[in-house]
Amino acid sequence: MSVVLVLLTTLPLLSVLAALPARVRISETVTLCTALAGLGLAIVLVPAVVREPVRFGILRADALSVVFLLGTTFLYAATAVYSIGYLNAEREHPGFARYARRFHIGLNLFAWSMMCAPLMDGLALLWIAVEITTVVSALLVALDDTDNAAEAAWKYVLLASAGLGIGLLATIVMYYAGSTVLGSSYDVAFAPLLTAGSTLPHTAVQLAFVLAVVGFGTKVGLFPVHTWLPDAHSEAPTPVSAMLSGSLLAVSFYAVLRYYQVASGTLGPGFPRTVLLVFGVLTLLLAALYLLEQRDLKRLLAYSSVEHMGILTIGIGLGAPLAFAGVLLHVIAHAAAKGNAFFGAGVLVRKYGTKDTGTIRSCLDTLPWTAPLLLFAILALSAMPPFGLFRSEFQIVAGGLAGAHDTVTVVLVVLVTLAFLGLSVATTRMLFVRGGADLPVRGEPSAWMVAPMVAGLLVLIVLGVHPPADFSDLLARGVAELGGGT
Amino acid sequence: MSTPVPVPVIQLAQALTVLVAAPGVSGVIARVESRLQGRRGTRVLQPYYDLGKLFRKEALAPDGASWVFLVAPLGAMACYLTVPLLIPVLTTFPLPLGYLGDILGGGFVLALASFAVAVAAAETGSPYAQLGASRAKTFGAITEPVVLFVVFTVALVTGTDLPYALAETVRSSAEQIVRPAHLLGAAALLLVILAETGRIPVETHTGTTEFGMIEQARPFEHSGPYFAMLSWGSAMKQLILFTILINVFIAPWGLAASPGAGDVAVAVVALVGKCIVLGVLIAVIDNSFAKLRLFKITEFVAAAFLLAVLAVFTLYFGGG
Amino acid sequence: MNVLAADPAAVAPPGVYAGVANGLAVLVLLTEFAMLRTTLLRAQVRVYAAQSLLVSLLAVVVAVVRDVPELYALAGLSLALKVIVVPWLVLRMLRAAGTEIAGSGALGVASEVLLAVAVAAFGFFATGRFHVTSPALPETALALSVAVILVAFVLMIVRRDVVSQAIGFFSLENGVSLASLVVAAGMPLILEVAFLFDLLVAVVVFGVLMQVHHRRSESLSTRNLTKLRE
Repeated sequence: MSVVLVLLTTLPLLSVLAALPARVRISETVTLCTALAGLGLAIVLVPAVVREPVRFGILRADALSVVFLLGTTFLYAATAVYSIGYLNAEREHPGFARYARRFHIGLNLFAWSMMCAPLMDGLALLWIAVEITTVVSALLVALDDTDNAAEAAWKYVLLASAGLGIGLLATIVMYYAGSTVLGSSYDVAFAPLLTAGSTLPHTAVQLAFVLAVVGFGTKVGLFPVHTWLPDAHSEAPTPVSAMLSGSLLAVSFYAVLRYYQVASGTLGPGFPRTVLLVFGVLTLLLAALYLLEQRDLKRLLAYSSVEHMGILTIGIGLGAPLAFAGVLLHVIAHAAAKGNAFFGAGVLVRKYGTKDTGTIRSCLDTLPWTAPLLLFAILALSAMPPFGLFRSEFQIVAGGLAGAHDTVTVVLVVLVTLAFLGLSVATTRMLFVRGGADLPVRGEPSAWMVAPMVAGLLVLIVLGVHPPADFSDLLARGVAELGGGT
Repeated sequence: MSTPVPVPVIQLAQALTVLVAAPGVSGVIARVESRLQGRRGTRVLQPYYDLGKLFRKEALAPDGASWVFLVAPLGAMACYLTVPLLIPVLTTFPLPLGYLGDILGGGFVLALASFAVAVAAAETGSPYAQLGASRAKTFGAITEPVVLFVVFTVALVTGTDLPYALAETVRSSAEQIVRPAHLLGAAALLLVILAETGRIPVETHTGTTEFGMIEQARPFEHSGPYFAMLSWGSAMKQLILFTILINVFIAPWGLAASPGAGDVAVAVVALVGKCIVLGVLIAVIDNSFAKLRLFKITEFVAAAFLLAVLAVFTLYFGGG
Repeated sequence: MNVLAADPAAVAPPGVYAGVANGLAVLVLLTEFAMLRTTLLRAQVRVYAAQSLLVSLLAVVVAVVRDVPELYALAGLSLALKVIVVPWLVLRMLRAAGTEIAGSGALGVASEVLLAVAVAAFGFFATGRFHVTSPALPETALALSVAVILVAFVLMIVRRDVVSQAIGFFSLENGVSLASLVVAAGMPLILEVAFLFDLLVAVVVFGVLMQVHHRRSESLSTRNLTKLRE
């Protein structure tokens, strides 16, 4: 199995190399193959990690990391397909070859860093991987080279780097906590930290956890340091937005989860859960309110990401095993649904040449495939059955009620409903309301852009209706690793 | 060990040293300053000659100025003669009158002198003198918190706020000297002294443009012996502040440890020598920086405040 | 003459090593404040270099006194990177941009300093609550490093030009380095090196984005970065 780990962390680098010479077709093909291979390898890992964590050198995969790896590789594959169609339309522009080369190098590096992050054994290495995701994605956000993109990229890199500076402080404090028990030559690996458990100094772990939530929370998009998120998501090229939203946020959330794992092992679950609940509820509240009055399509989806990150955070804060299972499922389902939504939004923006939800009309007439697929994606994001997010949010809510967190759960339900309102009003207007004198001609821009949405929809339905047995085992194992049941 | 000098005589010698040495120290600084600027400069003893000349001249007062105008220079002089009784000018051991007041007390007496001069300036009706007085009071008010925090630092370091106690603490060991609280406090005090003695970057010491003046503008309307007393007073104020910085904070060595005549004589020479060294340093600072605009002076004071506050902070964990 | 005897109410001195170490840490914090005050971008970069030098110096002091040989290597590396390479890169970019003076901050300098003092005080006393003690350096140095980090945040918030904001981030990293000297002096060298390498990558990306910004808006100011709101 260790060969799988090595392949996962080297293949995207190879496709970066392949993208260096300027042949667009070749890099498209290589990227696609790499991404599909990555997805395959991640699936291969599933049964292995259900038995026991796989380790090789500085790489380590357990159920928790594979859950996040699955989300990332799936989105990577979908994005690779989508990008072919996305780039096709740009083919005529001057400087396309340069743009495409940068795009492919960036995309593969970005995917590589996000695949590495969950596979790193240790908080220090994890921090390094997350920092690399930041700098690579900042460059990708600036890729379109417009005033807005430059502004968004600058705000993003500044805020995220500052947040990660706090994250580094958290890492160092955690090292300190570990070194008091494990000796100074210890390298912040997970297993010894978890074994040391309650012997770690409590105040230091407390400090590290809060710093980690604030620091990595900047990249998760937690209140009040979410402000970079809508800018970056709306100004990045659409395939990048999809990966930012579906994977990058999740990977940063993974880092928070790791700190949660250690903190709840040391301090007991009370303190870390309270911290997460506070941040989660505030984040969700903010996102729900912003969703109600958002007119920019991609910003709308960005705030929806903030909302879902709030849900994830609350889910962990609720602390019931059922809620944990919901959170892990939610990570993957959100990757699929948000990917779809951004893909669909990208097609709309292409077609209508605007991101304003007030201007886009009659999508069902002009886009026979994309419009319904976008509708399903939005419904999925609003946790409608039969999609995966329905199952996951249901589990989170049920877990909350079972865990005697009634108030928080009720708040959660109310806010999610509010968010649903915001999302659905904007979308239905674009899709169903007819009008507009000069509608674009009916027809899809590219089949490549539709195919990943179909795949995403299938995944959402499968996750919602009947998740495969191996996958359920994986989630159960992940819940056990998070200390579910205590 | 030479013959012991009676303690009251030493006490008197402290005030007299300051009185007599102050114009000389100013003269040396002025001389160094002009050398730094490539001028030949005046004699070191020139301030004494100036004072002598001024005392021989007649005194004039503006119309409508009351008795305060004439009493203020005397009052200021009296204040400046009082402060040396409270601080370690010549001896390491506290003299009887040293208990009259602590650092804060000394500060109040200095402030009283400054107040007297300001009131006198306000009496004159001259716009420049009043401008100088009001500015001096304004900036005095914003430097006050800095001085307070320096006093807090001293209090936390020594457990008292007697200047003698801090000097003793500094002498006691190297670790007292390198502790950040002490260094920061001393640095903050140095900045305050720059501001209080009318040095760059706050004020051009020898300038003639009235608009930038603060301290310099206040005695504009005084003349003759009264003006002599004000100039003498400001020279003494400078020497007193130098003495506090040197003998309490940065270099409390060379003081008389016993009331022997030889020791006291050495202490006088050492004090003048140390003050001249500090004066030269300040002259160098004076020549290396540009004067700040009037409204930027708050930034200068903010820097001093920062140092003083940090001094107190670092003491919090016992790490200062 | 009892007044001169050590008073029990006095705060005992921390010892020569701790005093020197704390003094250096205080200087790091003061350079952070100096960055807040400087208006010339060039001067700001130099102050950053000086701050990095102080951190390296502190690493050497810890290495000598506490006998941690890895720290020599770390000090050397961080000297090369943060005192020479990073300032050189930023200065080169500044030369290309041809801008000398940062736009004034969102606040006056004196209010900035007072705000930063308040923020630093918060960090200082908050750290005190956690009682994180370490064999390498006194607790005060940790509190000071937290203050450095918070003041770096103030710098990034109140300054309105890309160079100051980037320098704010770099100096934030200096604050973290300082903290790591206190609580993680024995951290495996390989990790420390990885952190530094990461910083270098971040610096390059910051540089690229600064250039993008300068090319698009013909200035280094961020005052016009207000299009993306809501």
